[in-house]
Amino acid sequence: MTDNGHRGTIDPIRGGMMDSLERVTGRVSYTIDLQVPGMLHAKLLRSTMAHARIRAIDVSRARALPGVAAVLTGADLAARTDIQPWFGPVFRDQPILAIGKVRHVGEPVAAVAAVDLDVAQEAIDLIEVQYEELPAVFTLDEALADDAPLVHEEPPRVGQTFADLIIDTKSGTNVCNHFKLRKGNMEEGFGQADEVFEHVFTSPPAQHVPMETHACIADVRDGRVTVWVGAQIPFVVRSQLAEIFKLPQTRVRVIVPTLGGGYGAKCYPKIEPVTAVLSLAARRPVRLHLTREEEFVTITKHGVRIRMRTGVKRDGTITARQSECHFNTGAYGDIGPRLIKNGGYGTGGPHHIPNVAVDSYAVYSNIAPAGAFRGYGVSQAAWAYETQMDMIAEKLGLDPLDFRLRNLLTDGQRVMTGEDMFDAHFVELLERAATWIGWDGGDPVRNGSKVRAKGLSCIIKGTVTPSTSTASAKLNDDSSLDVLTSSVEMGQGMHASLALMASQRLGVPVGSVNVSLPDTDVTPYDQQTSSSRTTHAMGTAVMGAVDEIREQLVALAADELEIAAADLEMGQGAVRVKGSPDRSRTYGELVRASRSGNLLGSSTFRSEGGLDAETGLGIGSVHWHQAAGAAEVEVDLETGKVDLLRYHAGVYAGRIINPVQAELQTEGNVAFGLGQALFEEMIFDNGQLQNGNLGDYMIASIEDLPDDLNTDVLEHLEADEIHGIGETSLPPVMPAVGNAVYRATGVRIMDLPITPEKVLRGLRALADQEVSSR
Amino acid sequence: MTMTGEPNAATDADPRPLDAEGKLTLTLNVNGRDQIVRARPHHTLLEVLRNEVGLTGPREGCGVGMCGACTVLVDGKPVSGCLLLAPLAEGHDLVTVEGLEGPNGELHPIQQAYVDHTAFQCSYCTPGFLLTTKALLEDNPDPSRDDAKHYLAGNLCRCGSYVKILDAVMDAKERVRED
Repeated sequence: MTDNGHRGTIDPIRGGMMDSLERVTGRVSYTIDLQVPGMLHAKLLRSTMAHARIRAIDVSRARALPGVAAVLTGADLAARTDIQPWFGPVFRDQPILAIGKVRHVGEPVAAVAAVDLDVAQEAIDLIEVQYEELPAVFTLDEALADDAPLVHEEPPRVGQTFADLIIDTKSGTNVCNHFKLRKGNMEEGFGQADEVFEHVFTSPPAQHVPMETHACIADVRDGRVTVWVGAQIPFVVRSQLAEIFKLPQTRVRVIVPTLGGGYGAKCYPKIEPVTAVLSLAARRPVRLHLTREEEFVTITKHGVRIRMRTGVKRDGTITARQSECHFNTGAYGDIGPRLIKNGGYGTGGPHHIPNVAVDSYAVYSNIAPAGAFRGYGVSQAAWAYETQMDMIAEKLGLDPLDFRLRNLLTDGQRVMTGEDMFDAHFVELLERAATWIGWDGGDPVRNGSKVRAKGLSCIIKGTVTPSTSTASAKLNDDSSLDVLTSSVEMGQGMHASLALMASQRLGVPVGSVNVSLPDTDVTPYDQQTSSSRTTHAMGTAVMGAVDEIREQLVALAADELEIAAADLEMGQGAVRVKGSPDRSRTYGELVRASRSGNLLGSSTFRSEGGLDAETGLGIGSVHWHQAAGAAEVEVDLETGKVDLLRYHAGVYAGRIINPVQAELQTEGNVAFGLGQALFEEMIFDNGQLQNGNLGDYMIASIEDLPDDLNTDVLEHLEADEIHGIGETSLPPVMPAVGNAVYRATGVRIMDLPITPEKVLRGLRALADQEVSSR
Repeated sequence: MTMTGEPNAATDADPRPLDAEGKLTLTLNVNGRDQIVRARPHHTLLEVLRNEVGLTGPREGCGVGMCGACTVLVDGKPVSGCLLLAPLAEGHDLVTVEGLEGPNGELHPIQQAYVDHTAFQCSYCTPGFLLTTKALLEDNPDPSRDDAKHYLAGNLCRCGSYVKILDAVMDAKERVRED
């Protein structure tokens, strides 16, 4: 049965999207659809150099072009006293426009606002920049060399940032942050091991590719800043703009329409500062919408190298694991200095390991900045440990499933950050995955030049902790409910999930619940729409806000019906006397009786935790997200091409709120992950991106998805806990595929992606070995 | 290259003069109605549909014809609006997602199938998928799942809603037949 609400279609059982009708008619409004009267159009001039001093910029011809309203350079911004021209969520290390030098190809150097895009582009073409090229570093090895040129000569400035952030910078090097974890005794741990395995695994930089590239409209006039932007974290955009313009936060308004995809790319300010300073200079609203090529150099997934040592007893018990992780964070820190924590402790994996040591580093280099990316460092960590698990199993002569089951965390065991595991479902998830794929540890199946085999994986992921979400709600005099929240709708179906939770809690039809879009002038604080946290964190806040209204309704009904509150019950839009259902008042009647216009409720969700700066131990996550994967691949031995034939994506959800969205997000993770497993990689040559467009950089199409795809969203109502599932089933995809490719071919790929070239090279190396051993 | 002011023919075959802003006056038949618009010769159909006609269904995703988010049906065939120069679209029937609904705003059976299967997440790509589905079902009223996959491979959905999209297409095929 469909509940046709005023904004679209949500089925109370199946779930769905709140504004489905707007979404299939093309009417749903993204930032790119907005028009502000008097709006100008912006274009950016971007650096052609990876690392260079700016000797001079001549903007005179651009400024003289008719139709140009403003031309800005970093020097212009640095000279102004009314602007603080540096931003960044951790370090204020990123200039709005390059000041003094450029640090990566594609960095904005100058900006133009003009009457239309043609004029803006023509003005950009008239700007001349003289660079003095500097030695640059692109790879981790280059950036970490003793005599490496420094991307940032000065230690980065820390601004107001996350309460739990651990900062350990190495001044005089390109290391911009170091996270360490020390659990147990490594000497003892490795001493107990019969075998110690050491391998190096790498993941390349990759692109989020939201179908909607970054777009922003800014209006900065009369001491007031208004921006419309598809941002995942509106309140950080607000606080950073307030800092840039030296204004109270109340003078900055951030309005967030629905997003055309985010995946982490739209976390933290990106193009808002430059759009806003252009508006300030032009004294008109300004719109900036990046091209796909610009999007590629705006933010990326971290390229990562992980050296992993794992000590194991002959019976398959893991005794110790030591990881050294280097995250190439590019020219600016963005959230990299924080992400290394999750990626770092993440290497502990879903295994019970008494002794764990992690050193995780964010390293500056002269490539495009890296930041939050669906999986948040855990994909790179899981690629390392779940690949190594299969390598260890083979050396010890153990079945990869049995070896995992022996070591997977169960309730009461300590996770890598030291707290006790609870609500553990790793074993169940992996066993269900193995059953579905038909795991038998058997030999690969060969058919002509094609060979099939299966692979498994299982992962753990934290969600940002501590964290805070606030919500408020208004019950109207017709029993309809407005929910005010700053959580961002980016396709995950958050609006529908919050509406479903509020409707169930209050006892009103889901179609009579409205959920707001974020507007920092109106909607209360939310920390971030990321980290798979909204349904749990904001959902809890929304239910708390509804509970406040419920209490008022009961008190009002007790008054109206002249009966003790304890004798009342509520649901289906009314408060009734227990046992006398005809003695009742509808919510609307009670709102009217209150003479308040509407009943207001508000609530705050807070999770507690955080890690110790020296040991990395503490509360890593309010609860732990869990997922397993099982893949069956077919490898063409003549071409090296890998096809994903079947895939099982298992994820623990606790209680499922919106079943169809849970399925969609999980299916989406498989599509996202198979691209990163098989072909996604940003290729840089001397800092110049070689494949920065969708012709050269492939993402999964409908033909890449396995015909046989099973989503297994596991529910355990008795736990009474909601787990986010937006990212959790992504990290298992890459190692499950890699492990299946190995079992099919004997070729062990340790550097993503698993391209046909690498598979063929591996097959040739195996053939050569066979020849030489004869 | 000067983009404004200088007279510049739209195409060799199109000798019409440009106005003071370097624009041509074009008549485009969009969703069954003639629209008179002004555009520079290098403006794409996508730009003109969004900026001059005021439609929000066609959307730029890649700018190089690889993602399908800007799909427009040109005489019934799916075309990337970002690759077709607007002057070349004159004299053709152009259909965008805004042209799918019935006269009283009732959803096209394909749109209804996408709603019923929730065949989208962020839905930025959805108009392109809907139009390509329409073209598919006109080309081949009874496609197999594999036929549909092959036909839709030029439309990208980064949220990865592909399973539900295929379910919706196979459902839409039955609904269009009954319609």
